[in-house]
Amino acid sequence: MTMESSWSHPRPLPDGPPPAARPTDAIYLNNAAEGWPKAPGVAAAVARALEQPPSSAGRVAGVSAGPAAECRRRIANLLAVPDPNRIVLTTGATHALNLAVHGLGLRSGALVITTVTEHNSVLRPLFLLERQQRVRIVSIGLDAAGGLDGVAFEQALSGRPALVAINHASNVTGRINPVERLFAMAKDAGAVTLLDASQTAGHLPVEPLRLHADLVAFPGHKGFHGPAGTGALYVAPRLELDPLVVGGTGYHSQSHWHPQEMPGRLEAGTPNAPALAGLAAAFAWHAEHSDPFQRCASAAGRRLRDGLRTIPKVRLFDGQSHTEHLGVVSFHIRGWPVEEAGVALLESFGVVCRTGLHCAPWMHQAIGSAAEGTIRLSASGFNTGPDIDAALAAVAKLAA
Amino acid sequence: MPPLRRLQSWRREMQITGVEKLEDCFDGSSVYCYHFDRPTTRPDILLLCALGRLEYFADFPRPFYRLVAAAGPQLKGVEGMAHCRVVVPRDGEERFRQELQALFSPP
Repeated sequence: MTMESSWSHPRPLPDGPPPAARPTDAIYLNNAAEGWPKAPGVAAAVARALEQPPSSAGRVAGVSAGPAAECRRRIANLLAVPDPNRIVLTTGATHALNLAVHGLGLRSGALVITTVTEHNSVLRPLFLLERQQRVRIVSIGLDAAGGLDGVAFEQALSGRPALVAINHASNVTGRINPVERLFAMAKDAGAVTLLDASQTAGHLPVEPLRLHADLVAFPGHKGFHGPAGTGALYVAPRLELDPLVVGGTGYHSQSHWHPQEMPGRLEAGTPNAPALAGLAAAFAWHAEHSDPFQRCASAAGRRLRDGLRTIPKVRLFDGQSHTEHLGVVSFHIRGWPVEEAGVALLESFGVVCRTGLHCAPWMHQAIGSAAEGTIRLSASGFNTGPDIDAALAAVAKLAA
Repeated sequence: MPPLRRLQSWRREMQITGVEKLEDCFDGSSVYCYHFDRPTTRPDILLLCALGRLEYFADFPRPFYRLVAAAGPQLKGVEGMAHCRVVVPRDGEERFRQELQALFSPP
């Protein structure tokens, strides 16, 4: 019996996706860090890839066979872009964002506009460039309603930014940023636009052409429930980034110089073929089940947010019901230090959560949780109604 | 026999067998996982009140305890697990560990 078929957890959410492997009793609500369980077929695809002799088809960037090419094709479909060769396969969103930020070759104090909602995987590459005096950073804060400050953003655009880098959704509060509108304005101002879709890819449509995004970075291991150590960067056709790493590509080997063609231009070295095989399987599953999966994730997130709002002593951050959120919620429980609540939820109740700053220090300053961060629960389409109810009951018990 | 001694005599000794430094988000904090040679029991947990303010949540699915020691360290864990988590002010870890070890296995 496979792990996939042994799970018979009830699924009361409407039209849920087929069950995925779930070998423990833990209630996993840390999907903003890593999606789990993995999509059906991922583990088998990784195992198959490891058991077979390595194929040179996976060695050469840009070829039409092998898991890398399969991933590129599927990502191009997901993003609704015509050319799979504009998809660079990376080790995750951090790698993709570094490729984007450093690859643009910003210098001479170029203006970069970003926001307080960003993850350190955007902020730290920018801070590095700032320390080298290659960029100046303007950060857009939150307005009184908790959204990005549109007035400040418009004012900042008058400084003619070279780059505008915005998170599609906060990994702290789950709030979805209005990137389509902001990027349209940024393009009018002549900026290159970089979208960090780490939290949204797999949960929302991420279409660069519609969102006016020149660069889109996302991981394979969060919303797509693929293997860790996978991700991608979409690079718009008119942009040519400088590589972070050069070396073997499996072609043009007589040349001293790294190939210029995409995607090999930005991919050097032997790819992680087993992980890419798993990622291709995750995309294949997602292509078949994305609608019910996203509906379930959305229902689980709403149930979580609505439930937390009703528990006395729980302070929900950015908990308004009228704004658009993913299934990511941050909160405090009066009487429970954040880190301690995390230990109790995990070890006493089996609820896997995340505590602390979630690598988004500016966001915590903006929402008033910088001292100890927040307790974060993050749902996926594999979470069930009973999962959410059990997590809410655990929080209520702590708060009692 | 003083109550603490009586409580100590009711239980088997317990050794701290390992200390693991845990990562956390904040500069300057020191979070450790202490590993024991056996699962913790209720008498082990009750002993902790000798070190400071102890709260014991017996009605949780796996009973949870937390201690704020008089000297500042905080300790938390779950009954039945062979580990606990300790947050100590900078440089205070070794002293607190010795204090805890002496409590669990009196000389």
